[in-house]
Amino acid sequence: MSGLELKKVCKSYGAVEVIKDLSLQIESGEFVVFVGPSGCGKSTLLRMIAGLEDCSGGTVEIGGEDVTDAEPSDRGIAMVFQSYALYPHMSVRDNIGFGLSLAKTPKAEMNARVEEAAKILQLTDYLDRKPKALSGGQRQRVAIGRAIVRNPKVFLFDEPLSNLDAALRAKMRLELTELHANLNVTMVYVTHDQVEAMTMADKIVVLNKGVIEQVGKPMDLYNNPATAFVAGFIGSPQMNLLEGAAARKLGAEIYGIRPEHIDISRESGLWRSTVRQIERLGNDAILYLDVEDVGSLTVTTDGQTDVVIGDMLFATPQPQNEHRFPTIAR
Amino acid sequence: MKQLRPAILGCITLVVFCVIFVVPFFFIALQAVKDRQGSSLLNFSWPSETQLWQNLVDVVQARDYQLLLAYFNSTVITVFSVTGLVIFAAMVGYVLQRRPSKWNKYVNFAVLAGLMIPPAVVPTIWLLQQIGLFKTIHGMILIEIAYNLSFSILLYRAFIATVPRDLDEAARIDGAKPLQLFFRVILPLLKPVTVTNIVVQSIAIFNDFTNPLYYLPGKDNVTVQLTLYNFQSQFSTQYHLLFMNILLVTIPPLIVFIFFNKQIVEGMTAGAVKG
Repeated sequence: MSGLELKKVCKSYGAVEVIKDLSLQIESGEFVVFVGPSGCGKSTLLRMIAGLEDCSGGTVEIGGEDVTDAEPSDRGIAMVFQSYALYPHMSVRDNIGFGLSLAKTPKAEMNARVEEAAKILQLTDYLDRKPKALSGGQRQRVAIGRAIVRNPKVFLFDEPLSNLDAALRAKMRLELTELHANLNVTMVYVTHDQVEAMTMADKIVVLNKGVIEQVGKPMDLYNNPATAFVAGFIGSPQMNLLEGAAARKLGAEIYGIRPEHIDISRESGLWRSTVRQIERLGNDAILYLDVEDVGSLTVTTDGQTDVVIGDMLFATPQPQNEHRFPTIAR
Repeated sequence: MKQLRPAILGCITLVVFCVIFVVPFFFIALQAVKDRQGSSLLNFSWPSETQLWQNLVDVVQARDYQLLLAYFNSTVITVFSVTGLVIFAAMVGYVLQRRPSKWNKYVNFAVLAGLMIPPAVVPTIWLLQQIGLFKTIHGMILIEIAYNLSFSILLYRAFIATVPRDLDEAARIDGAKPLQLFFRVILPLLKPVTVTNIVVQSIAIFNDFTNPLYYLPGKDNVTVQLTLYNFQSQFSTQYHLLFMNILLVTIPPLIVFIFFNKQIVEGMTAGAVKG
């Protein structure tokens, strides 16, 4: 089996603790996404799994084997970098086959494996080009190809799509999901983009300041966020989080309601508000409302709505979709 | 008027640099084709009779074809020194840039010291004699490597800063050992700055006069710059042959420079701009 287990790993740079006593179990064949804001330690955690950063404490197990002190190349992992990290002076073929040539694989076998990876990734026509003659998406695929030929137990992705434009990113997202389905290997994927996390993951790990906030299936995280932080991070547009008197009136320290779970009406409702701004996205529209004593509220509504800026509206949260959190978000 | 000013400034600069660089070279070439009387006047007068070929033959044949031996020695010294410089400087630059440790500041100090502190000749000769390298070509090669290493290290280090660290890490994950990582991934990427190093250092070493003079005495160890002494003596100097010799010695570095000067500028600035 090629699962992955982190046991109480921690990482500190001098006095700064980046990862604090983190434990996590990843099953074989799972697509796990680490998500969190910049500086939450998600990339560091991935690099610790890869062996590019030492653990200050705890153990990393891959496929049931303790690899905490093993070299990156001995861990049975492959990594795709945000910058792709292709060797600029080598052709696509040599880039993909570099690991094999270092391992002194016989030439015939090496060629066969490179050709096979290239076929999976539709790179066959580009094998003799240099990376600089490729487009962003093709470079990304070469980086993935380099990972595939190593036949790793675990694939690691460090924000691999963030250098691509929006259309290509959506396409590559789909390709990666399909690749995962075809290869059926464990994949760990780091991103700060919650859309990528929601669409690709079997399991999402939400990290905040070096600590796991919540682990779960994407829809579980959406429906039942454990903390206000997860609630605010998962879902787009962001969940409305009310604090202070307005929240206490509704029976919580922090009261959360998603923009899509607020009904609006011109006649009556809980909150009386004025429309400050409207963003029309076509299929739906996002309203930014100013509510007296509550503050700003985001509401998603039908794209064909006839509301205009300055209108007076009543907003009412759907009672079954309310979220109440006990403590302040960290 | 505003458009004219850069043009005028440009012309003045051209004239000034022409006077500084081209006129002396023209002077050398002019004296080299004159006969003995003509050249001893050391002026710009047109030669009464040209004897380019005769001067050339005289210079090459002088002291039993010493110039050819000198070319051979200089070439050996230059090729081996530059090869050593490129490999060592790239390695030191790489380690200094990539692996911060408590030793770095001492190494940095040593590198800067190598640039700033003038080498002491007599102790160096004493040391060379003790280890049996005095008056040997390989001793001279080591001296040239040591004297020029600092400059090369600084060039390499600045350039290596522009090579993304991700490449090192990708290679490590691919299973590259440190030496494989350096020779198969990093060194090929340093080509621009390596060309710069090769050109700058080979010109400097080929043209070196003082170091072979101190550390490489002996008739058989002569280098091209030292052959200039063949035609000078206390009471008379054969200027036409001296200048012909200068001309012959100047040509190889000049060719290198003309072909590679674009790469020199690129390599020098590549580290600086992006770094």
